[in-house]
Amino acid sequence: MEKAMTRLNTKAGRKNLLNCILALVIATAFLFPIYWLISMSFKTDVESFGKIVTYYPHEFTVDPWIMNFSDPDFLKSLKNSGVIALLAMTVSICFGVPTAYGMGRYKVPGGKGFLLSFLVSQMLPASLMLTPMYLIFGKIGLLGTYLGPAIAIASGSIPFIVITLRPYFKGIPVSLDDAARIDGCGVIRSFFSIMIPAIKTGIITVVVISFLNGWNDLVYSMTFNVKPEMRPLTANIYKFQNKYGTKWNCIMAYGAILVLPVVLLFVFLQKYIVGGLTAGAVKE
Amino acid sequence: MKNKLSMASKKRLEGYGFIMPGFLYILLILGYPLVYNVILSFKDTNVKNFAKGTSTFIGVENYVKLFQDPTFQLVLKNTIVFTLACLVVQFTVGFLFAIFFSQKFTLSGPIRGLILVGYMMPMSVTAMIGKNIFGVSEGVINDLLLKIGFIHEPIEWLVNGGTALIAVIAVNCWVGIPFNMLLLTSGLTGISEDVYESASLDGANKVQRFFYITLPLMKSSILAVLMLGFIYTFKAFDLMFIMTSGGPLNATDVLGTYAYTLSFTKYEFSQGSAAAIVLFCCLFVVGLFYLRLISKEDD
Repeated sequence: MEKAMTRLNTKAGRKNLLNCILALVIATAFLFPIYWLISMSFKTDVESFGKIVTYYPHEFTVDPWIMNFSDPDFLKSLKNSGVIALLAMTVSICFGVPTAYGMGRYKVPGGKGFLLSFLVSQMLPASLMLTPMYLIFGKIGLLGTYLGPAIAIASGSIPFIVITLRPYFKGIPVSLDDAARIDGCGVIRSFFSIMIPAIKTGIITVVVISFLNGWNDLVYSMTFNVKPEMRPLTANIYKFQNKYGTKWNCIMAYGAILVLPVVLLFVFLQKYIVGGLTAGAVKE
Repeated sequence: MKNKLSMASKKRLEGYGFIMPGFLYILLILGYPLVYNVILSFKDTNVKNFAKGTSTFIGVENYVKLFQDPTFQLVLKNTIVFTLACLVVQFTVGFLFAIFFSQKFTLSGPIRGLILVGYMMPMSVTAMIGKNIFGVSEGVINDLLLKIGFIHEPIEWLVNGGTALIAVIAVNCWVGIPFNMLLLTSGLTGISEDVYESASLDGANKVQRFFYITLPLMKSSILAVLMLGFIYTFKAFDLMFIMTSGGPLNATDVLGTYAYTLSFTKYEFSQGSAAAIVLFCCLFVVGLFYLRLISKEDD
């Protein structure tokens, strides 16, 4: 106690305390919308309808959550979200990781051109791809499937994976290649059993982020899948908003369930995600 | 000698073997539709003549029509106002946060990480929360403003055009500030402590150090963050689509949502394509500068 007091009395100690208080104020402001989402989802219909705004559930209830989970339409959308996210992730990883490896470890003619095309494709807005993709997918029968949105989402994740992982692969010492070759490891085997394990951190980053790209997608799934039975949670927000009307507690529970996997991944894998967000965007 | 050459070409083949699947994917799934979009924008394709295959080339008519359309002019203005406002707020506050959190204090690390979660959330849920907190009677923004006596009547945020645009800008900044902070933090940590120390010895105060050391040294990462911010903000879609549907009366309609409406509500595919091309051209100009900046430093 005495020690703490003396620390408080020093100038550095006071500054630390002040900074912490300010940081907490910032955190409160920035986390408030998420708190609001969750607290709203535990309110009763009357309370969430809100002639009077309450800052925590005065009457706590889990009904909004039960209501969502007992709704077959909701469960179907939840399944769709999962399927589309996993499918998009798989496609992205299968195409993205080998390409990143090739660009990081091989000097080939035109290498700079490849890199440039990935950088450009990372900037393309979804709105630009929608109309032509819709018409093309319509012709080859990809509308109303899970694969259609997954293919489109992956076209955004693949450039991200290439740009993020290329420096990781580049950083693996050449001696590891040589050791593999001496051991009689073929190119393919050394890629899978030596190179990929060597950059585990980077791999986790791109797996998580390409999953989230699929999970968070709205526009591709909404456009290519007209039928609500095929749409993920994000794209069915509208339908549920109409269904629940002003039942904000149910709408917010819906949103909370949609956010939950993101928050869990973020809490447990924060260092991988945060590292991945800046990779390739800005040079230090 | 001959053996060595074949080794090199074998190596090259291996390289292409790894690179090609991803590259061809992008070429096929992004490149082909991009070209197709350009062609579409010079035709008169809509839902009726697409199935029959009777659409014809009409030159630049779609573009002329767009730029003469008062709604499109409004949409273009909205997109620019939205982007500039977001950039200014995001960047300024993000920079202040980056500097604040770069000091070493007990909670700096955990809280800096924590406020990033908003950036990872689905934008559609963020927009849904935005719709609720900017509500008239159920909205917490109005409630707080009333409580502190800042306003005396609840504001109909999403009902009036001007305030609706402010509301979407605010929600977008909630996502953009932490992201800008993160990007600028990596630029800040790149500056070595020694530079600051010698400057303090020379008698430079905090403000001087910021303007004469931090800013010049971070010039390229500041430019990159601004351009990247422009690219991400200019193509906004999900936020407006869920929070306001571009309304009221197109007051929050931006190029992304407008192109979507043309193609998938009115089924005028060619006009939608033309609007998307306008969006693309704006991004492309800034994108070129961005690419030059980051590829120059890659060497």
